[in-house]
Amino acid sequence: MTVEPGAKPGFAEEALPHLDAVYRFAIRLTGSADEAEDLVQETFLRAFRSWDQYARGTNAKSWLFTICRNVFLRKRERAQRHEEILALNAARVGAGSTPVANQMWSSAQGVDPEGDFFESIVDERIISAIEELPEEYRTAVVLSDIEGLPYAEIAALMEVPVGTVKSRLFRGRRRLQQVLYDYAVEMGYISAAAGENITG
Amino acid sequence: MEPFDEQTDFRSVGGGCGPGSITCEDALRVVHDFLDGELEGVTLAEVKAHFEVCQRCYPHLRFEQAFREAMRRACARETAPPALRDKLERLLAEAGQKG
Repeated sequence: MTVEPGAKPGFAEEALPHLDAVYRFAIRLTGSADEAEDLVQETFLRAFRSWDQYARGTNAKSWLFTICRNVFLRKRERAQRHEEILALNAARVGAGSTPVANQMWSSAQGVDPEGDFFESIVDERIISAIEELPEEYRTAVVLSDIEGLPYAEIAALMEVPVGTVKSRLFRGRRRLQQVLYDYAVEMGYISAAAGENITG
Repeated sequence: MEPFDEQTDFRSVGGGCGPGSITCEDALRVVHDFLDGELEGVTLAEVKAHFEVCQRCYPHLRFEQAFREAMRRACARETAPPALRDKLERLLAEAGQKG
């Protein structure tokens, strides 16, 4: 990196190593490589300009994810995507508690209890399933399952309580598992008979 | 349908839950916290010990692990394109010059 020396001390060392992670996050948010590139550029430029406000040595990755998501949400608001907002509101109804067990697993346990079918599913199908999730679920799942952020950091980033993060993770994962399970049945990776037992 | 309605009292089944101070329901309640690295201390040790010996719960743990592994596999290969790195480098250098 040939960023102007001294202009923003530490930026190259602390922020830029997270470019791939921010790019992955941006792709999951936007669903488009072109939009992701624009989002990444804006994220890093904003971070660069605000570098003086960042507490050096804390957590640049979370900070960059926060900026990235905020920029994305502002753009989305401007695009007036009411459908997703309405869907999210509907999803919130009855979302107060997190069930103990995984109903999806309960459906699968007769034929593939350890989820071997997940290995058979092509990357593109998994990625499209992630991108079909409502944003609030998608963000939580990507930050936890792919980027490995702790609940507390995701909560701070999304400005919600840790319990809400856990609830969104639970429901986001459940939806993904259901979609991937249905796909595995459709493709014949696991028996159709097992698929008939799924109750939603 | 609650998936574990018929198996609520795993302790009564015998043999499946193994030794230890937690039940299958306890373990399954925190399976995500366990896999996400959110448990620590005694709780972590208890949950880990339970999954290691419980024939009912271990497949559930593996199912969730397989799901996470598939997610990471699908997305891990994605890296920022070299052209984006180059462009960002140029933009940041320009921003740095402007102060």
